[in-house]
Amino acid sequence: MSSEKPDQVETLRRDLLKACNTLSNVNLFQAAKWCAEALNGLPEPKPETADLQPEMLILDEDALLDQNKYLLAKAYFNCKEFDRAAHILKNCKTGDALFLRLYSILISVDKRATEETDGSINIGSDVVDDMNNRLSKIIQESENYLTKSKPNSFLYYLNGVIYNKKKKYALAQSNLYNSLKLFPYNWSAWQELISSLITFEEAINFITKVKAAKSSLSSSIMFQFFEVVVLQEFYQQSSSLFDSLNHLITIFPSFTFLKVQQFLISYHSLDYFQAESTFDQILVDDPLRLDDLDTYSNMLYVMEKRSKLSFLAQFASMIDKFRPETCCIIANYHSMRSEHEKAIMYYKRALTLNKNCLSAWTLMGHEFVELKNSHAAIESYRRAVDTNPKDFRAWYGLGQAYEVLDMHLYALYYYQRATNLQPLDKRMWQALGNCYEKIDKLEEAVKSFEKALTINSAEPHICYRLALISEKLGDVKETYKYMKLCFEQELDWGVNDETSKARLWLARNSLESRRFEEAYELAKDLSHSNAHDIEEARSIAREARNRMSKN
Amino acid sequence: MVQNQKTPSQHNSTLFISPMINSRRQNLFVTPPNPAAQTLFDSPGSNRSSFFNLERGNVNDDTTSNSNIPPAAEPLTPAEKLRLWRHDALMQHQYKTAEFIGDKVLALTDDPNDAFWLAQVYFNSGNYLRAKSLLTSKPEFEKSVSCRYLAAYCLIKLELWDEALDLVGESNPFRKDDKYQVRSTDGGIKLEASICYLRGLIYANQNNFEKAKESYKEAILVDVKCYEAFTELISNNLMTPREEWDFITTLNYRDADDNDELIKLLYTSRLSKYLNVSKLYEAEHILTEEYDLGDNCDILLSKADYLYVQCNFDECLSICEQILRKDQYNFDIIPNYLSCLHELGGKNKLFLKAHQLAENHPTNPMTWLAIGTYYLSISKIAEARKFFSKATLLNPNFGQAWIGFAHTFAAEGEHEQAISAYAFAARLFPGTHLPNLFLGMQHLQMNNLNLSEEYLAASYQICNSDPLLLNELGVINFHKNNFAKAEMFFQEALGAAKYLNSDSKTWISIHANLGHVYRRGNQPNKALQCFNQVLKISNKNDSNILAAIGLINLKLGNYFKAIDVLHDALAISPSDPVASDLLRRALESNKNNGNSFIRSNGEKLLELNLPTLQYRQKQSRKDGSLQGQQTVVSAQNSKFMTPLTNKTRILRKGSGVLQPIEKDTDDTHEAFYIAHELKKGNESSDEDDEAIMDIESD
Repeated sequence: MSSEKPDQVETLRRDLLKACNTLSNVNLFQAAKWCAEALNGLPEPKPETADLQPEMLILDEDALLDQNKYLLAKAYFNCKEFDRAAHILKNCKTGDALFLRLYSILISVDKRATEETDGSINIGSDVVDDMNNRLSKIIQESENYLTKSKPNSFLYYLNGVIYNKKKKYALAQSNLYNSLKLFPYNWSAWQELISSLITFEEAINFITKVKAAKSSLSSSIMFQFFEVVVLQEFYQQSSSLFDSLNHLITIFPSFTFLKVQQFLISYHSLDYFQAESTFDQILVDDPLRLDDLDTYSNMLYVMEKRSKLSFLAQFASMIDKFRPETCCIIANYHSMRSEHEKAIMYYKRALTLNKNCLSAWTLMGHEFVELKNSHAAIESYRRAVDTNPKDFRAWYGLGQAYEVLDMHLYALYYYQRATNLQPLDKRMWQALGNCYEKIDKLEEAVKSFEKALTINSAEPHICYRLALISEKLGDVKETYKYMKLCFEQELDWGVNDETSKARLWLARNSLESRRFEEAYELAKDLSHSNAHDIEEARSIAREARNRMSKN
Repeated sequence: MVQNQKTPSQHNSTLFISPMINSRRQNLFVTPPNPAAQTLFDSPGSNRSSFFNLERGNVNDDTTSNSNIPPAAEPLTPAEKLRLWRHDALMQHQYKTAEFIGDKVLALTDDPNDAFWLAQVYFNSGNYLRAKSLLTSKPEFEKSVSCRYLAAYCLIKLELWDEALDLVGESNPFRKDDKYQVRSTDGGIKLEASICYLRGLIYANQNNFEKAKESYKEAILVDVKCYEAFTELISNNLMTPREEWDFITTLNYRDADDNDELIKLLYTSRLSKYLNVSKLYEAEHILTEEYDLGDNCDILLSKADYLYVQCNFDECLSICEQILRKDQYNFDIIPNYLSCLHELGGKNKLFLKAHQLAENHPTNPMTWLAIGTYYLSISKIAEARKFFSKATLLNPNFGQAWIGFAHTFAAEGEHEQAISAYAFAARLFPGTHLPNLFLGMQHLQMNNLNLSEEYLAASYQICNSDPLLLNELGVINFHKNNFAKAEMFFQEALGAAKYLNSDSKTWISIHANLGHVYRRGNQPNKALQCFNQVLKISNKNDSNILAAIGLINLKLGNYFKAIDVLHDALAISPSDPVASDLLRRALESNKNNGNSFIRSNGEKLLELNLPTLQYRQKQSRKDGSLQGQQTVVSAQNSKFMTPLTNKTRILRKGSGVLQPIEKDTDDTHEAFYIAHELKKGNESSDEDDEAIMDIESD
């Protein structure tokens, strides 16, 4: 568009190339992958500018000294001998070497914890203690280095990762922020940063803070990515979000990541048809991509596209059977066929492959609910909110499970958490209202249901509930108002149980207040209800007619 | 040399009466070339000692003994030759030869010194009874100081303490004769000092530790070279740290001749690490720089001890391993090594070391200490106890083993037995504060606050810088509701811990306790700060701490936070009654707080999400296909919103769970769980203490 744009793209290309090399040099594979994908997502370079030489990493004195050992350690690391890699780097001086060493230790600790807990469900406290112990040591060492020597972006990143694991989110944020200030192209760090932001408020505050600081970071293209993903993850939709997303897409026309963001945004706004077509396009561009395919399969499940989901399951298991995404897809497939045990088995497999697989815990919880195993469901949901406290479905599921167990106080708390995450979802407010009603907090219940009504157009059953509660509270006026409102929904929603009941109530009410005509009108058309109600309606109609004729 | 004759024999060492006394002027320690370059005797090389250099026999005087070694020019007398033969045989551990020849020499000369040397032979071959009877067979033998010394030693070996004490006398008989210090001329250890040492040994075995301490001190005062007495004093902690430091300055290092500086430094490096860290550091520095002893095991040992006292177990372990690499069979380092491994959870290495020891030194009590420690660290208490008790059987004065033994009882909560075992250890180690500290802790657990305070005070007298001790004192004051005092102690403990540069469990439990004090003292924010510190440092999430944080948040009205934290607490220990009770209350409060949730949260969140809401409404208005969207929503419901509520099983009994149990006043209730909690906090600190103590005891 603008004249400077090609120039900007070229700078970006160079930066990304360099960043990619740096990231692979410290074995941050996922971040390197992201960077390389972004690099390839840029428009094709013009031939005359294509002579970009990859800049060699410039080594300082210490790095040269460490180089041989560093290479050896990297080789060990790549051969998955993490402890050995860490051992080799014992006396190295550079920050990168220290990072690789601590990173190897981290991976080895994690690996051991996974192996010793064999699988996903049980975690012995010994193992956790031991793990925490070693994590603290890693942090100590890296913080020592950072205070004594020059700052290193990757060490900050590592600190952030560990603090996230320990749920010290404020510390994690400051470390990650430091890391990104030094080296913004580390997408893994951005991701950790996103996962350390628990509430939307917090996220917004963080973004405004960074913007206010006016560092180079806030103007960097990576920050735009960050903002888009944050808004997406907190289920936000606004024109500014679409603007920035479109802006990014013009810069990176063929970057799958951005398309996935588009898909997720449509998915979150329940615009499934749009979402589906977006993802179909992604699959055409990059057919063997498994990332985010599990989310796609969730959507297909909800859309009840059975054949497509079956195809997807087959297809994914052909690409790689042992990816957590594949397992989730297969589990969804089994769930769709009501084979819940099998679905659970696959979710478990997914979790064994990656215990932080975000959606698997929640979905497994749903399966347990299907099997009426509330305790197992609670356990799953709990793990889900433990790994990702932003998952409102898991909070909601917890609320439901506790409701089944008649533990309404617990349910209330979990619904509140869910509502905090999804204040725009009327189901949350409805559940909250139910809960308040159960524990005899009728006023709060009314308020919750009213909130639900304000979010969307009035739904008859909410109106009906409100009317019933008002009746309990003895507030005739309110009751009448809501009954009326409920009855009026017949136009939009057609005749159903709630509207019929409202109609009956209104008829009865009119009869009592001697408005016989109205009563007759209301009662005579009642046809959709149980026999008893219809009988009553008839008698009301009869009586109203009698009275009318008498008058 | 002239002085030799004047010096009473107690100022000499046995070097003085050794057959070679005057032949070792210059080249004593040089091993002679094997085939002699220069021969004294007719048959070259054949009759020459491999150990002592005879050619240097520049004998020009008669010593008090009548070992007349002729000048080199003169041929040796037959008796003289036999003596050399005997001596060499002894040095080469050919006891039969030595015995045979020694017997003949004695028969020829009837000299007390020859009796002494023959007794030496018996002693070396383990025949203490025979040695003793030889040495006491004739009155003139008994007159010789050296003979008396050896006889007493034999009696000690035979564990005949009273007889041994008779022989050496209850106090030093020479003390009164000469106040002045006489330097021994021969560079050996004065027999007077050695006898004092024996006296100390006897007293120690008679459990008379005060006298033992005096005797050992006297031994070192008489001759600073009597390291045996020094090490007994130090390793058994017979003196308090301050006494140790005072004592070391009163010593007379002149006896060590040119080495006085070195000896002083070496002794200094052995002293208690609780005091005068700078001096220790200086000594170590000089020893490393000037004497190039940085790699010497004893210096490393001192360093390890220091690190150990600092609770810097990682470093300490690496030093221990360094020492063991140099000297695999070093026994001095083993207690530290075991403790570090125990502390750091090196079960596998403990296993290996215990096995190695059991294979190589089955009779050494240290072996059984190692085995006991191993069992303790895999929490097999019964086995651990068995092996600790075996160690104490092998050496009744083995304080570490006694403490380990006591720990096994403490671990099972058998306070009475633990107390009696600790009390025994306290008698063995009068100079350390640890046994008293343990006793105080046991009494604290039994709620004997006054007794406990007494013990802790006694412990405080000995060492006032131990963070653990200060922590316990703080806990006591907490229990007595002296919050100001408790806070003071905890602050002091923190200061000490910081000074000791440790970030260990100690540090954490002090912080946690300080947090509890603030909590009780109505300083919730300070308390939260402390607890958060703990959580930041702590390796394991402690449900007790989390419960305390929950309680504070509950008090402050942060119900959400409280519920969250309490859930975490219950996730760690699901059956924690305090946490679940608090959670119940928090949920209850949350219920009553519903209004504010809806008002504040609801409004705020709606505001935050306003753009989205507007956007959505715009969108929906635009496409107007509300109906379509609705169907999708309901479809989604089927998966994500399973309508469980419709199938609610009617379980009325469940409501009982959530009902407030009774309406008693909040205060009493709270007092209940605070007490409960504190007890727990206390327990946890105790456990920490024990773990650490354990190490120290080892």
